[in-house]
Amino acid sequence: MKKEEIFKALFEAVVEMDEEKGKDAAQLLVKENYNPLEGIENGLSKGMKVIGDKFNQFEMFLPDLMMAAKVFDSAMTILKPHIAAGSELAPKGKVVIGTVKGDIHQIGKDLVALLLETGGFEVHNLGQDVSTFTFIEEAGRVRADIIALSSLLTTTMVAQKELIDTLKEIGERERYIVMIGGAPTSQKWADEIGADIYGENAEKGVSLALEFMSKK
Amino acid sequence: MVHFLEIMDRALEGRFTSANDFDLSIFVPKLREVVKKYGIKYDPENPLSCDDDLADRVFKAGIELFAEVGVYCVDTKRIIKFTEEEILEGLAEAPRYPVFGEGNDAKVLVARKPESEVEPWCFLGSGGAAVSNERLFESILENYALFLPLANSITAPTIKEIEGRVVRTRSPLEILASIRSSILAREALRNGGRAGLPIMNSIASAGSDTAKIAGSQFGLRPTDGWLIGTMAEMKVNFERLNEITYVMNLGGHVVAETAPILGGYCGGPEGVAVANVAYHLISILLMKGSCQLTFPIHLHYGCTSTRDVLWANSVSGQAISRNSHFPFFILNYVAAGPMTEMCFYETAATVINAVISGGSIEFGGVAKAVEVDHFTPMEPRWASEVAHGVLGMSRSQGNEIVKKLLARYEDDIPKAPKGKTYEQCWDMKAKQPIREYRQFYQKIKAELAELGVRFKY
Repeated sequence: MKKEEIFKALFEAVVEMDEEKGKDAAQLLVKENYNPLEGIENGLSKGMKVIGDKFNQFEMFLPDLMMAAKVFDSAMTILKPHIAAGSELAPKGKVVIGTVKGDIHQIGKDLVALLLETGGFEVHNLGQDVSTFTFIEEAGRVRADIIALSSLLTTTMVAQKELIDTLKEIGERERYIVMIGGAPTSQKWADEIGADIYGENAEKGVSLALEFMSKK
Repeated sequence: MVHFLEIMDRALEGRFTSANDFDLSIFVPKLREVVKKYGIKYDPENPLSCDDDLADRVFKAGIELFAEVGVYCVDTKRIIKFTEEEILEGLAEAPRYPVFGEGNDAKVLVARKPESEVEPWCFLGSGGAAVSNERLFESILENYALFLPLANSITAPTIKEIEGRVVRTRSPLEILASIRSSILAREALRNGGRAGLPIMNSIASAGSDTAKIAGSQFGLRPTDGWLIGTMAEMKVNFERLNEITYVMNLGGHVVAETAPILGGYCGGPEGVAVANVAYHLISILLMKGSCQLTFPIHLHYGCTSTRDVLWANSVSGQAISRNSHFPFFILNYVAAGPMTEMCFYETAATVINAVISGGSIEFGGVAKAVEVDHFTPMEPRWASEVAHGVLGMSRSQGNEIVKKLLARYEDDIPKAPKGKTYEQCWDMKAKQPIREYRQFYQKIKAELAELGVRFKY
């Protein structure tokens, strides 16, 4: 099969959210010895862009994004081992993300995590109700570039400030880019506490994360 | 009705699965299946729906969804399920006439029907938005009592700082803020001349069960309302079940809070409408509520005044009010803030939609309830006057008004003005709105009267 046809199959698999189709196309790409990076760029990523655009236009919703990402990940699992050494598809950065202590909201945070992942970041999603200590410990363990904190309550957003203050206190503030988001937060709040990025919405947060990483 | 201990058994023994599996392999596929099966389709031309058959199909879809999916207990990672028979039994046995408040402010909360002449219950205040300190908290509550003659219950704000310290959840500061909220709220309502008025959102400052239960000892009564929430979508945890256990044994009222998210796992407005019905049933069977308080909300815009959310509220509101005697409220969050035309148009649209569709109202959150100190008694007063101004109005007439209002604000939702603060709009000494705001109010009122709202005064 021609490589363009396989790229098309990869693209369609993501857009149609068909995991089996994605796996089959990825395996065929490998079998035919075509460049997996081209398959990712011309097939999988293009498909995710279509899904992302539809999501932003409210034609598709979070479950669609997640299912498309699952197709993307399944195909990537097959392609990754065949990416030639030296042309390794390096992650754009490493992110530790979670909802702060005392807060159990997750949907917005999971959306950001998903967009970061499909945007090329290695994401460590710590879940909800995450203490400052856990954020910092995990960021150190995985050697994160970005710590991303979500808060949906006015009574929990202070934890975003606490993390930044703690990083300063232990001399590690410069080590991380700190991104904040969530309904009660704002650019004013981000400036007040010294956060690097305010994610007004998921897409903006991710695009700023990419921008910051490109300057790092 | 399934006993609460039986629910606990199911939380401990139900099918074990991850939250991710529950969301993507159980909830989402079933919801999409019933939306398709019952032919539920969003109609953007009619945000205030006039379709009885659609409403009844949405109700059936909601029953089927709940019976198949159940509720996920986050702490045990198990699914609490109910049979269709139990659901129908619960519907039949659900509370009909809960009484809230004391003395002259005691009142029976009744369910309504679409286009009903029955006055909606007006649960008024800040929608849980935050004030920066205790002084403003007390002031605004006293002014709610003085300035909201149509209020049947109050929604008190969250206190952001206590004794100059920022309140944080699960700390002694949260306990202190919750205790202080109860004491101050009760006293403020008394000072405003409405000592018996129920506080229906219990303690907005309390994020944890400990704080809510502790704080309630300092002024809440069994005839107030304990706002206790589910988690999106169709989930519950032990903290909320702890609160329910406490309130049940107190003989108090659980105000079961639910909030399906448009754009999240529910997908679009069709999924939100069906999920809202499932949540109504959860409010009865699992939450042991005296009523449901629901606010379907837009994932991207953080408000309930968008066309698609209005439609979902309207359709599910009619589904519920046509098929259930269990009272429910629609809580609205508007994007714009105080003393802006947009805020008042959004408020009118959401309230007209809710009342004519058979709901009572909670109002509510202005500036999305995320801007500290950005709310006054004027906005809930407006909501209550509009609510009373559309009693008995037909859905078709209401729909025309809502569409005209949407035309005035919907394109501005992404960049809504946050408006002014309480202290900028309110004469703190005279305990009334500033002249400019009073004039503004009368101007907007005249506009809405022109559109067909029949104000009482």
